[in-house]
Amino acid sequence: MRHLARRAAVVAAAVAVAVGATLSGCTSTGTGGGSSAKGTLTLGMTADIPGWTPAQPSYQGWPAMAVYDQIFRCDAKGNPQPDMADTFTFSSDNTSFTAHIRTGQKFSDGEAVDAKAVKTYLDWSAVQANSRLKGLKVTTSGDNLTATLPSANPLFKLLMCYQIVPSPKAIAAAEKTKNEVFAKPIGSGPYILDAQATTAGSVYTFTKNDDYWDSKTFPYKKLVVKVLKSDTAAINALKTGQIDGTLLSSATLKEAQSAAGLKVLTLKGPNTTRLLITDHQGKVIPALGNLDVRKAINMVFDRDSMAKDLYQGNATPAYQIFKPGSDAYIPGLKDPYPYDVAKAKALMAQAGYADGFTVPIPVIENGGNIDLLLPYVTQQLALLNIKVQQVPLSGPNMYSDLLGGKYPMPLWQLGNYGASLQDIQDYVLPSGIWNVEHQDDPTVDGIWSKIVAGEDVKKNEQAINQYTIDQAWFVPMVYADNFYGHSSKVRIDGSTDFAGLQPMLWDFK
Amino acid sequence: MLVALVKKLARAVGVLLIVTFVTFSLMYGNGPGIARAVLGLQATQADVQREVVRLGLDQPLFVQYGRWLGGVLTGDLGTSFFTGQRVSDALATRIPVTLSLVLITLVLTVILSVLLGVTAAVYGGWVDRVVQFLAVLGAAIPSYIIAIVLIFALALTLRIFPATGYTSPDQSFVGWVSSITLPVVALLVGSIAGAASQIRSAVADVLGRDYVRTLRARGVPEREIIFVHVLRNAGGPGLIVLGLQTIYLIGGAVVIELVFALPGMGELTNTSAQQGDVPLVMGVVLVIVLIVLIVNLLSDLAGAALNPKARKA
Repeated sequence: MRHLARRAAVVAAAVAVAVGATLSGCTSTGTGGGSSAKGTLTLGMTADIPGWTPAQPSYQGWPAMAVYDQIFRCDAKGNPQPDMADTFTFSSDNTSFTAHIRTGQKFSDGEAVDAKAVKTYLDWSAVQANSRLKGLKVTTSGDNLTATLPSANPLFKLLMCYQIVPSPKAIAAAEKTKNEVFAKPIGSGPYILDAQATTAGSVYTFTKNDDYWDSKTFPYKKLVVKVLKSDTAAINALKTGQIDGTLLSSATLKEAQSAAGLKVLTLKGPNTTRLLITDHQGKVIPALGNLDVRKAINMVFDRDSMAKDLYQGNATPAYQIFKPGSDAYIPGLKDPYPYDVAKAKALMAQAGYADGFTVPIPVIENGGNIDLLLPYVTQQLALLNIKVQQVPLSGPNMYSDLLGGKYPMPLWQLGNYGASLQDIQDYVLPSGIWNVEHQDDPTVDGIWSKIVAGEDVKKNEQAINQYTIDQAWFVPMVYADNFYGHSSKVRIDGSTDFAGLQPMLWDFK
Repeated sequence: MLVALVKKLARAVGVLLIVTFVTFSLMYGNGPGIARAVLGLQATQADVQREVVRLGLDQPLFVQYGRWLGGVLTGDLGTSFFTGQRVSDALATRIPVTLSLVLITLVLTVILSVLLGVTAAVYGGWVDRVVQFLAVLGAAIPSYIIAIVLIFALALTLRIFPATGYTSPDQSFVGWVSSITLPVVALLVGSIAGAASQIRSAVADVLGRDYVRTLRARGVPEREIIFVHVLRNAGGPGLIVLGLQTIYLIGGAVVIELVFALPGMGELTNTSAQQGDVPLVMGVVLVIVLIVLIVNLLSDLAGAALNPKARKA
């Protein structure tokens, strides 16, 4: 769920941003949230946390980052960095790592943080229903720990990023509950939850854990995270000093930019707007199995105009789905399908689809495609006589429906990781969560097997990228920016999130 | 009177069972979707099926409902599928917020709408026309628009009240008052508008009756006529309106809680229903139905106290 939450977050964030774009006693040090005295950092969060069950912290997962420490932190490209593990090595074949667990740390229940505690967590994690570490074998020897996968996984390092570790007692307590959930967060992170000052779903309050090994990186004595689901409520709270920072939406960006005492951090292009033509074989809609049709669809979108007009300059044209600077990204790639409606129509005619066809596109309220993209996409596809049939999705089944294969060409704005292997897995491989038709492709399988074997990984990632471009599996449109509004009393130099969606907790100075 | 009360209570229990069962039925059959939402989309079909069984969502409707009802009777409302928080704990933090809004708005509605309604009916003329115009205006403007205007003027510009958030009276009474003032005013405008015009009509109707003319002919002071005789007889329709206003206020609180980021039941309802968090949804529905039934019961009792004929109903 956490992974879904992060992905779905991309969705939500995407929409939020892309577009064209007191009683001040709520914090301990008075007006302005107290940041100037490094007393209290008060953050707004546009969605509630998904509970305290440990997993990779979800989108805006500051509460989890506060109470839990992780085996490794990761840099912006998803490379593990020291944390609970102060030294470590990953095997070159992506099957195992050996780490020395930092000594002298304790969980908030007083239990020692050691290799056995980390093993307890990894063993528990490996058998969870949604685990991506299934089959992981962990052994310990003193303060050292070795974890081994049953087979090579090129994403192993990425999967280990932000694996947060709760106390073994918390795991044992959770296992006794019916739903195996963690009612309380017992971790060894830089902060400890103040349960008395916390209202689940509304306000989470934390006090600093002075014994944390990297305490200096977290300068605030107190952390308060408020759930403000309404964009309007969030910007109002920011402007009146009730909070020190929040993600901004298209509706609130300009308001934050013009407000005195506020700064806006631009998170450059963490999302790519795209149509995902996942029915490459034309099993659901035969026309989509035709390369000329897929190329034609690519050619009716004026990416420069989209970035400039539709997104009001808060985006840059995208000719490939991968994040600039990531391994799969092909630098200097020219637009492979320049905007040319006449040529697109000719391609449709050549393919025998001059009269077009109908394509159902799922729509989720506040999802990644509604307000801004869908009208434009509908209009442009109509130029090829392709009729968009909007299908509203809601309720608990909406994401299952969205990704269940009923809709062979979703329109979505998705995040692109600094580690492009993650994107390949999610969007390109047959098993990919967003490759909703899960159709096999021998070329992709062949290149991926080379990546799994560790053969010239970067080159092969780019080969997959080039192949998807040649096959027109996607219709990338723009790299849309994210924005984070914050009080000028809080310093944020940038985001170290490898998804680039938000500042991490340690980015607040 | 006692028999009537027992009958009303029996009816209330019947309504409670019907509403909760219908709600449960509406969510029934979503087991795989809910389980997948809990586990994440990476989960395999086998994982999802195991989760469906673990959450008890594979059981027949009556078994699931019976299990929930049995829990309610023993004081166990279950735990959230998603957060593991006990439903009773979640409700314990949410109910005071919503009740703060609804009850204070209701009390103020009673006071102000009676004042305005009686004034309009008694004085008539331009006073009546002004009150009626304001009532129509108040009813026509959605509460969230009023909320936005209040936030802009009194929170963002003048900085008198907080723009968002809720402070518990345990933490600070002054903070509590200031945190609910704007939300209450936003709800109050529409609520008064609805009630005042109804009370005005009821009072005007009673004022035109023969016994009022007789009282005046006997020289009974006007104040006594209005506050002792007229209001008592106009109270029945007024109580019905206020009972309906309570239900309206609970519904209106959902939007207002979102605008002011108040952690009340409205917000919880919205989130849990979207997720398919059955125990939480049922907990919220149970509480809301109970509130409505209690208000109706109190309204009936008050009506019976005012009107002896109503005691036999």
